[in-house]
Amino acid sequence: MNLKKQFMEGLITQNPVLVQVLGMCSTMAITTSFFNGLGMGISVLVILTLSNVIIAAMRKIIPDKIRIAMFIVVIAGFVTCVDLIIQAFVPALSESLGVFIPLIVVNCIILGRAEAFSYKNGIAASFWDGIFQGFGYTVVLLIMCIIREFLGAGTILGGLLEIGEDGQLAFGLGTAAGIQVLPEQFPIGMLTLPVGGFLVLGCLIALMQWALAKTKK
Amino acid sequence: MSSEVKQKEKVDMDPKYIIELTVKLFVTCLVVAGLLGGVNAITEDRIAAINWENTQEAMTAVAADPENTTFNETPLENTQAMIDAASSAGGTLGAIYEAQVNGETAGYAVTVSASGSQGTIEMMVGVDTEGAVTGVSVVSHSETSGIGTKVIGNEPTASGVGVLDQFVGRSAADGTLSVGSNVDAITGATVTTRGITTGVNAALAAIGAMG
Repeated sequence: MNLKKQFMEGLITQNPVLVQVLGMCSTMAITTSFFNGLGMGISVLVILTLSNVIIAAMRKIIPDKIRIAMFIVVIAGFVTCVDLIIQAFVPALSESLGVFIPLIVVNCIILGRAEAFSYKNGIAASFWDGIFQGFGYTVVLLIMCIIREFLGAGTILGGLLEIGEDGQLAFGLGTAAGIQVLPEQFPIGMLTLPVGGFLVLGCLIALMQWALAKTKK
Repeated sequence: MSSEVKQKEKVDMDPKYIIELTVKLFVTCLVVAGLLGGVNAITEDRIAAINWENTQEAMTAVAADPENTTFNETPLENTQAMIDAASSAGGTLGAIYEAQVNGETAGYAVTVSASGSQGTIEMMVGVDTEGAVTGVSVVSHSETSGIGTKVIGNEPTASGVGVLDQFVGRSAADGTLSVGSNVDAITGATVTTRGITTGVNAALAAIGAMG
């Protein structure tokens, strides 16, 4: 397996969100502030990599007939572990992502990669597949977060930084309101609602397909 | 799913094979359950502490004298009469915590939920020993951003008082609270205001039924 090819697949040619169109639910729901996108992206990356490695390691002993059940058990186990760890150590993140962390269990990216990749490939390749696919997912989430946050609320880096009352940059994990870039009368509040998620995602997918089609020629 | 996998699925279902499947799935579940047990043991106490801290924060926000009030960590026991009183007022009773100032009962923090315009609104209602509301705050909700959230954010109504603040001082003696007669709603967010009002009524009814 070629690492560079795997990296390009995860980030661009087989991007989990923009090309495989997987994991839509969380992509729509949580991409409203930079902090949410980063937290969700990293959680999925970690869970995807762990489950990919374990499934690749077990692929010879998993019977075909019950492979989906086995995948789900492994994935659900890791998701619950990550959920508990986030609740205990990054409570701000668990508050803002809420039910979307436990819902990673049914995120198609993870089950999809288990079925399409790690069940057929070695441990090392599956490990890198998890990292790269997770990275591709995170990048798209962050792009959507930045667009929706900027146009919808007029801020950037919400949940990470804000300009405090004393005019200094202040760091506030999950609590900071973000740096106001657009004056408050300009933002289009609709973009932070689900409908805005669909619009932004649609535009990004179109852009991606256009770019892919163009490079093919 | 490739066609080669599909063909394999036609293999005979002899008992040995079925047992093998069962054992493998069972062992996997067992290992995962063991792992979860371990992680749970590590994180359990921290999560409980964080939850209690959040609850305390929400309760302090609705207390009459926030700085001197402490809360008993074990909630009071909800009697059937209290649960019934709350549900006949339209809400669902959660936990009731006793608020203490200098070791004496100063009031109660009541968690209740009632339906808003988009889903359930969970709120904390502070009630003093006389049965008057000391504060209302929303714990969780799914109201429409920019409309229903005006109520959650305690924006002023037409009368100039914060929509949540207007409940302070009201008690069951004032009769049932209802939007339009003795409660002002935020324009456009009447249903959300109604949800909060229902919750306050339920909390007052539950405390009233406590005896």
